Amino acid sequence: MAEQIEATTLIEAVQLFLAELEPELKGRRAFHAKVAGNALAIVARELAQQPQAREQALLAGVMGHDAPLDTLRTQMCEQLRAGTMGAATPGLVDALLAVALGKCGVDNPRYATFKRLAV
Amino acid sequence: MAAPQKLPTPEIVSALVGATVTRVEQLSGGASSATFAVDAVTADGAAWPLILQCAATGSVPEGGLPRADQARLQQRAFERGLPVAEVVRVLTPEDGLGEAYVMARLPGEALAPKWLKLPEYAPARAAMTRQCADVLARLHQLPISVADGLALPSGSTAQSLDRMFSNYRRFGVDSPVFDLAFAWLRERVADRPPTNIVHGDFRSGNFLVAPDGLVAVLDWELAHLGDGHEDLGWLCCNSWRFGVWDRPVGGFGQRDELYAAYEAAGGGPVDRERAAFWEVFGTLKWGIACLQLGDDHVSGRLRNVERAAIGRRVSEVELDLMHLFKFGSV
Repeated sequence: MAEQIEATTLIEAVQLFLAELEPELKGRRAFHAKVAGNALAIVARELAQQPQAREQALLAGVMGHDAPLDTLRTQMCEQLRAGTMGAATPGLVDALLAVALGKCGVDNPRYATFKRLAV
Repeated sequence: MAAPQKLPTPEIVSALVGATVTRVEQLSGGASSATFAVDAVTADGAAWPLILQCAATGSVPEGGLPRADQARLQQRAFERGLPVAEVVRVLTPEDGLGEAYVMARLPGEALAPKWLKLPEYAPARAAMTRQCADVLARLHQLPISVADGLALPSGSTAQSLDRMFSNYRRFGVDSPVFDLAFAWLRERVADRPPTNIVHGDFRSGNFLVAPDGLVAVLDWELAHLGDGHEDLGWLCCNSWRFGVWDRPVGGFGQRDELYAAYEAAGGGPVDRERAAFWEVFGTLKWGIACLQLGDDHVSGRLRNVERAAIGRRVSEVELDLMHLFKFGSV
């Protein structure tokens, strides 16, 4: 173990703190505390799953060249807007489905469509 | 953001509705709008439960339906027998409560996850598909002249699609899934002129439901003139099924049943491809709304954890859209 307190440990500690706080809060504050706990869970899953690395590889595969993720996204969107890429582009639908699955798995793995596809 | 309005006290509300008011309690509300429960008593001593809906002046976005017109449309729907809350009073700026109106407070459950899951609402779930079809058929049969004098936004299908694309581009976010969805919609768009009064937000989260069925349709703020099929598609978006994905009509029914009941109630023939078009349109529209809500935080307009977190719901929409494009439906 590199650190005694890893980033994930800090996330868990803050989640614990929020859970302690929640019974003392009411209305909008209590709701926001719950949302904050969920937001930290997203951060923890993103750290563990690193979905952007896979997204970069998948988009590079469809585009046929390597570039940083933001560049690949922008280029693909421009081509989709121009009509030079589309649902018929080889590998595009499968790659975007895999990307979407990776992102939803981080953001909300309880979402029905994720559960349907992630079996 | 406009300055906060004065707070509605029982005295103020009493003067507005012309009856004794014993309680005014804020139910929900944020920076730009608030909902109050009002307990009034009529002259003959009967309880008169009301809702006061307030919004800061200018909180309706440009091109949106002004709140007073929203209330008037709701009242015209009520007068034509649609299940909506009767509007008691539309406030004027001189009343000092912003853009506000008072309506009847009806009994019923508004939280969809409750009425979609609790056993005592089983009869409601069995009845809702037909009831929703009936409401939409009746709404869409109204001549658009019913909205005469009201500033309802209006547009052809192609104009709606163009507006949604401009809205998407405002946020400077590049989502290949969203652009693929725009391409899919552009390939299929038939440029129909507006022919119907469209509710615009007809979904499970906007119904008041009793154990035996639909009580009222809420939230007319997105009403506009357009293609009635838009309401059929929006009702079926996966985002409003609350996990009950195998009942595409709001988490409680099947599309075939909805369409058959809509036709039987006089709504006219349902074009399934057009309904599917609007379902994809609606799914994308919700995704862009998530971008917009996330942008509230990023831009500093309304910085809070709820707005930031909702921005991450974009990925639910992206997954639904990709499921649609890969397997033909979601």
